[in-house]
Amino acid sequence: MLDPYVTSSVIYASLFGLMALGLTLTYITTKVPNFAYGSFVAVGIYTSFVLYRLNGLSPYESAPIAFGLGSVTALAMYLGVLRVLARRGSSLVSLMIATIAIDIAFTGVLGIYSDYLTSHYGIVDSKFFFQLRDDFNLFGLPGVFFIAPSILAIITVVLYVFLTETKFGVALRASVENPNLAKVLGINVEVVYVFAWSLAGGFAAMSGSFYDLWLPGGTAAGSNLIVEIFAASVLGGLGSIYGAVLGGVIVGATEILVTGGLIDLVGSWVSIYQKGVPLAVMVVTLLVMPQGLVSVHWRKLSSRIRHVSIRSLEAKLVRILRRES
Amino acid sequence: MNVPALPIFGIDIVAFSISLATAFALFLAVSLTLNIEAGYTGIPNFGKVMFVAGGAALAGSVSGRLATLILAINTNGDYNTHIAQIITKINTGLSNNPILSIELLLTGVALAAGIGGGLGLLASYPAIRLREDYLGMLLLASAQLFQIFLGGYQPFIGGTQGIEVPDVFQWAEIGTGVRDVAVLGVLAIFVVLVYIYAERMARSPLGRTLRAVRDNEHAARALGKNDVAIRRNVIVIASAICGMAGALITFWVSSVGPDTWTRVTWTFWPWVIVILGGAANNAGVALGALVFTFIMEIIGQVKFSLQSYIPFDVNWLYYLVFAAMLLVTLALRPGGILPEKSSTTLPRYSVAKIMQPWPVSGWDKVQPVSRPASAESTVKPQSDSHHDSG
Repeated sequence: MLDPYVTSSVIYASLFGLMALGLTLTYITTKVPNFAYGSFVAVGIYTSFVLYRLNGLSPYESAPIAFGLGSVTALAMYLGVLRVLARRGSSLVSLMIATIAIDIAFTGVLGIYSDYLTSHYGIVDSKFFFQLRDDFNLFGLPGVFFIAPSILAIITVVLYVFLTETKFGVALRASVENPNLAKVLGINVEVVYVFAWSLAGGFAAMSGSFYDLWLPGGTAAGSNLIVEIFAASVLGGLGSIYGAVLGGVIVGATEILVTGGLIDLVGSWVSIYQKGVPLAVMVVTLLVMPQGLVSVHWRKLSSRIRHVSIRSLEAKLVRILRRES
Repeated sequence: MNVPALPIFGIDIVAFSISLATAFALFLAVSLTLNIEAGYTGIPNFGKVMFVAGGAALAGSVSGRLATLILAINTNGDYNTHIAQIITKINTGLSNNPILSIELLLTGVALAAGIGGGLGLLASYPAIRLREDYLGMLLLASAQLFQIFLGGYQPFIGGTQGIEVPDVFQWAEIGTGVRDVAVLGVLAIFVVLVYIYAERMARSPLGRTLRAVRDNEHAARALGKNDVAIRRNVIVIASAICGMAGALITFWVSSVGPDTWTRVTWTFWPWVIVILGGAANNAGVALGALVFTFIMEIIGQVKFSLQSYIPFDVNWLYYLVFAAMLLVTLALRPGGILPEKSSTTLPRYSVAKIMQPWPVSGWDKVQPVSRPASAESTVKPQSDSHHDSG
């Protein structure tokens, strides 16, 4: 039997890895922080919730449906709002506030939908519901403990192969690096961006449906996730897909492990500061390495550390030897 | 002594106007500070709610405890658990003591300004040197965390329940509606001061420096302007004013709880007002605030008669209506109803006076070089389009 904090941190880590991956896909294409991203997750949360309550589908079965709905939502936002505004020459701040407006509109739509669920289907907990008890058990551990990390690993590997081995993947990377040059080479940058956005929305909604299996959901669940998702992306460097996966895993795991450790140490009252951990990660990242994990020259850093430590050891040895003599 | 009622089509026009003016004053004050930040300086403050809520919570939490000390009321050790009885006692004490009430009000507002400015400094520090997208993200995330903190931390404002706050307008309870007029009077003084401050700042050389930092920080830096310090100071000042507005809201409704302070109410609505009215134009922001609060109050009036026809909570309509309004404004009229203008500087004759040569011997024969009265270099922020596909 594993420690519950470890179980929880593995699930958190894989969920946030998946979410940060999607957010970074939207960021590298349009260069706008997408504050409506939490709403894509909420689409998945509600898809699974409703299909479970009304049709008895387990979140694993509804995850592909959530993926599709999330893709459609993200595309509608990209094509219907962001691209229109960008073509009219909106500034970065205008585009950012537009994504917040979309997030607010989503909250309104979800609110109306949850009222409809209550009045029409008699689902009284549609605004705030507890985790769906529809998970299987394996070796005494919840199924999502195995499924979520596997999905994240599979997606990362497939994405890696796609981005490095296929022509379309290389075109995507080219369009992200230098859209104008990519256009010159005959790449249809618009198609590439549309594809990236549909993937991003899909990943968000899919992680939302797994989220249902482990955590309570509701109309505010998506908006509250923004802290962790952005912390993960910033830690990963905002520009790197693999950095985002790594950042999500680190943020998810530290959030649970640090909070759990502190609860054991000082008492359960610290649990309300749980979201302080991702914020602290974000602040430290911005202060120490603003370009994120991918910007650090690990080899250089490790060699410097090794060098310094060896030198200081030498100095210590010399001092000891002198004292001896 | 009562405020008269004047019903037209079943709506009391006097009460409606007072409620409209109160909401207008509060939203205008917060939106003006957002305009200083986002409109003039280009700081995407997506965490506005944190500063308003910080001021509100501190003022609400401290003013009651302060009143128990001054009025020598026994709190039985724990203030928050016996809050109902304590507040009743405080209010009886305050009802015949307007001086103490106003002192409490001013103390609360001053404390709120302090916490607002402090939070502004704290939240902006890690990202101020970085690009605007990082700053926006950090402020939004901090505000979200602060909101969770307000709901979770019991001793401050009683967690999710919220706490009652001493009614510092108790002395005005001399007839129906008189208290609302008193509150409106205080708010009117406050918002007029904020407006004068914002307008003077915008017209002064400092205002043009802010625009220079917004439009081209490298050029501003080359001219010797410390853009990092300017952004930090702007956030601190704007947040301090927001804190004061929050404190006034707390004293107006005489309670404070975490549910009032969401990303929608005090971050998004001020943004709607600024974008709708016109960023970097204080008169435009005032117009935007008027349009916004008018629509809000009208929906609030017809809400109850509408509720029977609509199968969902009417409050969600606010979200959809204002989000759509913001997006349509951004797409069709990006400058807002009243777009930014070149700032009016000193009149021509006073500039001419300044340009007069000093009466130094020999130098008074030198003709002054004539320059245009206002050397404007305001460029529309259109140039930094980050999306060049299409």
